[in-house]
Amino acid sequence: MALYFANSSEGMVPDALAGFARAHADLVVWEREHGFVRARHTSPARRVGLVSGGGSGHEPLHIGYVGAGMLDAACPGRIFASPHNRQIFEASRAVGREGGVLHLVKNYTGDRINFGIAAERLGRQGIPCARVLIDDDVASESDGVAAGRRGTGATVLVEKVLGAAADTGMGLRDLVALGEDLVERCCSLAVASAPHTAPTTGRPAFALSNGALEYGVGIHGERAEHTAAHRPLRDLVGEMTGTLARALRLGRGSSVIALANGLGGVTQLELYAVLGEAARLLDDRGVALERALVGDFVTALDMHGFSLSLLEVDGETLKWYDAPAQAPAWRR
Amino acid sequence: MRFDGTFTDGWMRRFAASASATEAELTALDQQAGDGDFGVNLTTGLDATVRALNGAPTGSLAAAQQPLQAAATTFLDEVGGTSGPLFGLLLEELALAAAAGTALTVPALAAGAGSGLSVIQRIGEAAPGDKTLIDALAPACDALNSRGTDADVRKALAAAAGAAWDGVRNTAQLRARRGRASYLGERATGVADPGAVGIGLLFASAGETVTALAPFLTCLSASLPGTETRPRP
Repeated sequence: MALYFANSSEGMVPDALAGFARAHADLVVWEREHGFVRARHTSPARRVGLVSGGGSGHEPLHIGYVGAGMLDAACPGRIFASPHNRQIFEASRAVGREGGVLHLVKNYTGDRINFGIAAERLGRQGIPCARVLIDDDVASESDGVAAGRRGTGATVLVEKVLGAAADTGMGLRDLVALGEDLVERCCSLAVASAPHTAPTTGRPAFALSNGALEYGVGIHGERAEHTAAHRPLRDLVGEMTGTLARALRLGRGSSVIALANGLGGVTQLELYAVLGEAARLLDDRGVALERALVGDFVTALDMHGFSLSLLEVDGETLKWYDAPAQAPAWRR
Repeated sequence: MRFDGTFTDGWMRRFAASASATEAELTALDQQAGDGDFGVNLTTGLDATVRALNGAPTGSLAAAQQPLQAAATTFLDEVGGTSGPLFGLLLEELALAAAAGTALTVPALAAGAGSGLSVIQRIGEAAPGDKTLIDALAPACDALNSRGTDADVRKALAAAAGAAWDGVRNTAQLRARRGRASYLGERATGVADPGAVGIGLLFASAGETVTALAPFLTCLSASLPGTETRPRP
């Protein structure tokens, strides 16, 4: 736990955006006045603009995925707070195309409401607008919680695949159907052995004793349903992979993309080991690991934790996943 | 009198004055039932609305719709949190319904408030009884709908205000299921919902500026225990 390198806690997001815009000036434009980042180059075949957004503190999500082949625009809110509806409205107007605009929304109440208000305003201007709600986190599934599962790590996979599909000229309705299908086919689970540092206080966001871990933690430091004992990686990833495989009903002959995602404070050394364990367990189950992604994709400030996501794929989804993209955090 | 742009301009200015006069009470309520920013958000939005009205080109506020639309745009664009922009959607629905003519009519108000209610229910994902602004807006809509098509606009709005305040008082007995207050559970019962109070202020300000909330929050119903009885303001 250490103090952030920052001018002030309020300045963290705008200061980072200014640097981000300079660093990736070839790929993105920061529309500072309206509070969104848009892609400089996009496919002329695309008929529907893709807009996402959410609280900051999850970088590279979402701004890092703005670019050719992925998002047309992203709206960063303050740290862990939904963007304002005006940001979403302006971004959607700027990048909407003849087929309208598709909002990719992680399932949080504030994001749902602000994207909803923006969608209402777009509708009044005659701009077709639809939404794909991403709720991949199996740890937040509970009959007692009306808000439903949270949107977490698998968001990046949904953004990549939908981006490539949009570049085929797919219309709004088909993109929504594909997006909903992708959301059905992906799930995630996260653990943390230390909380993130709260930017305003410089202190740990929650208390966790040494040797304990939060099993099922959220990406805003929401406490998990239970605190468990720390244990060897093989056991931990074994339990996580088993839970995800059951949730997706994976079996012999299934194909997946796996994402071993750092939450901001873990090393590559740890994350590759996570992927290695997960791959071995998938092999044991006869599940084909078609592609693997390892690194920090959807973070929670400096949380010492990781998430594991699986997306069940078919040949077409893999083709879209493999399609080239040029975004600050996705160039391949 | 004609219920044209001069009327809705005055209505929005009185709404601003009402919010300013009651900001401290609203903030105190929201500190008990929410996150404490509603009073400031409402006055910020309405002060900006008044600036927009003052800065509007001559003649651009002649129709009833125009001052309502100015307020709507201000709330949607400038106000933080979620309740503020939801007020913006309601004001925009009122503006759209009023756009049919230069003067407001009771059916236009009823239609605008009704579509505002359904939009807010859909986007806010809340229903009557969830202890939100819907619990004041829904009875206000009923009151507008129960008036005849040629009813007097001022009287209809007064009836809507009365129904909204009844709804506000009822929210004090409800347990929140949506919004920030839902995390507080039983701790927020007994406290009126600040968003609902905002709806009361909106409709009441059509007639006159509200200078204090306390008289409107005091419960008259004998069926609700533990509340002091005061004469209706």
